[in-house]
Amino acid sequence: MEKLIIEAGKKSIVPNFKELFRYKDLFWTLSWRDFKVRYAQTTIGLLWAVLQPVVTIAILSIVFGRFVGVETDVPYLLYNVSGMAIWTYFSFVLSNSGNSIISAQGMVKKIYFPRLIIPLSKAVVGLIDLAIVILILIGLMIYYRVMPSANVWAAPLFILLSMIASLGAGIWLSALTVRFRDFQHVLPFIVQIGLYVTPIAYPAEFAMKSLPSWAAQIYFLNPMAGIIQGFRWSLFGGSAPDGYFWISVVMVFVLFISSLFYFRKVEDEMADFV
Amino acid sequence: MKNDIAIKLEGVSKKYTIGKEKDGSLRGTLASLFSKKSEKQEEFWALKDVSFEVKKGDVIGIIGRNGAGKSTLLKILSQITRPTEGKIEINGRVASLLEVGTGFHPELTGRENIFLNGTILGMTRKEVQSKFDEIVAFSGIEKFIDTPVKHYSSGMYVRLAFAVAAHLEPEILIIDEVLAVGDAEFQKKCLGKMKDVAGEGRTVLFVSHDLAAVKSLCTRGVLLKDGNLKINSNVTEVIDKYIINSNAQKDYYNADINDLKYSVISIEIKNYNNEINHNFSIQEDIYIDLKLNIPLKKENYTIFINVKTIQGVSVFSIEKPILSLNHILIINKQFLTRGIYTLDVFIHIPRQYQAFSLTNVCEFDVYDSDSELSVHGDYNYGVVFGNYIWQ
Repeated sequence: MEKLIIEAGKKSIVPNFKELFRYKDLFWTLSWRDFKVRYAQTTIGLLWAVLQPVVTIAILSIVFGRFVGVETDVPYLLYNVSGMAIWTYFSFVLSNSGNSIISAQGMVKKIYFPRLIIPLSKAVVGLIDLAIVILILIGLMIYYRVMPSANVWAAPLFILLSMIASLGAGIWLSALTVRFRDFQHVLPFIVQIGLYVTPIAYPAEFAMKSLPSWAAQIYFLNPMAGIIQGFRWSLFGGSAPDGYFWISVVMVFVLFISSLFYFRKVEDEMADFV
Repeated sequence: MKNDIAIKLEGVSKKYTIGKEKDGSLRGTLASLFSKKSEKQEEFWALKDVSFEVKKGDVIGIIGRNGAGKSTLLKILSQITRPTEGKIEINGRVASLLEVGTGFHPELTGRENIFLNGTILGMTRKEVQSKFDEIVAFSGIEKFIDTPVKHYSSGMYVRLAFAVAAHLEPEILIIDEVLAVGDAEFQKKCLGKMKDVAGEGRTVLFVSHDLAAVKSLCTRGVLLKDGNLKINSNVTEVIDKYIINSNAQKDYYNADINDLKYSVISIEIKNYNNEINHNFSIQEDIYIDLKLNIPLKKENYTIFINVKTIQGVSVFSIEKPILSLNHILIINKQFLTRGIYTLDVFIHIPRQYQAFSLTNVCEFDVYDSDSELSVHGDYNYGVVFGNYIWQ
């Protein structure tokens, strides 16, 4: 017999993972719903998932590859696509999970389930987009005859890190948005700025060369800076991840773990505020 | 703790803060950081110190007027929101049904929505799978099961949604007025299903304005008034008390009519069956039966009636020459939205002389469980239904 005690003012501040696990079917169902709605119902379905990153890549390649003339170890297009693969996934998950609670307010007001399921479920459907860009990436590597480096085994780890980073930021935003609607406007802003303060279209060495060392450390507080560098290292080799990289990794976990605690703190009053 | 108790509430209260702070803007919060305890916040206790026990197998009807705290109580019991004070113990797996079709997605097919809605309601995919055929059969829309629900009529939508909910198998079921949906035949089917559930020895908490449904379904009743628990007893007693309470307070009878030449003798609020009633669905006409005492055709006396909300917002007024001693005013159905209404009545010669006045008499409730707007729950969507056309 299940027993539940609700007591005002008394609750654990630690996220309830046991309960979360009990609702795993809801997690998969919501992920699958997003997938269905995103790909199966639009007329040109998957094409939309391809179009957006391709256009961004094209523009960045023209601006940074041609106009600015950024020099990279591998062909510039390949360099750019490898960064965009991870960034597209990150920004997709961040945007969707950041808005997820507000979008699901109909449910939140009418039924109980661990609210964390909503932002978490957004991480799955983005993998489809990621897979598409990675296919493009592989195509380009074949075209340019670039062999993957010996570190390619680590690539999935960096994808996993970017998943954790995007969820961390997304969970923070989804919870903050419920209480402060202003964060709805912050979200696109973060995505836009992030595209430029992350080494996607240019090598991180550029930033490190032109910035004093304290500023470079701040640069790597952006968790995606280290992740994208690491992902490129896993694909193309080069210098192994250094101290700066570990700043980013620590940030990923700080962001994610703190988001779980903050979410837990405000979870119960969400229905009163959305 | 004894083992036969399903739910135990001890001093449960819920406070809502109304006021500027609730808009939750960043600016507001930042501003309040710098100013000392600035903005006035209005506190509102939706529930105050409610304690009762529900035994296993009890089927409890929770009744009370609009704003008495019924929905808040259900929301707390279903864990949607937390109490401000108090403690609740629940023994058993709970499923709550505060609306039908929570999470339904219009783009998905009926089949897909069954899985979606089922898992949202707390079933596993396996459980949904095993009951899938039963659910479809109950809904009676086999033919359209692979059609996106956006193409469904609202009746089909509700059937499918209720069918999913009806196949939940929790130990404790919490239901809010969802029975009042669909056509009469389907309602009967739902009520029958509910009775089955109750008969299987499961614990059910049921909130409804439909006293007949409560009476036929429930064994015990809980009456809430202004957030307080009034009575917790067997269902007939609670309903009787509720009716007596509301009737005693609400109609107007003048005790000493002989003293006044111009007066209202009585005002009774009735339904279409000419029965005194103070609870109306939005689908019912409201009959206001006025008996007057006045020398006819003597002067240009008129009767003036102002229908107001309990909060004092004037909804509409009527000015009518007095030509007889008995007037019945019928407020059409689907005009007033959910809320509590009251009347001001005057007998006068307009702009000249006021002979008699009554204010805030004859409270009556209008409840709404089936308009398109009812899905918005507690949201204040206006005093009357709009009179408009789309083009």
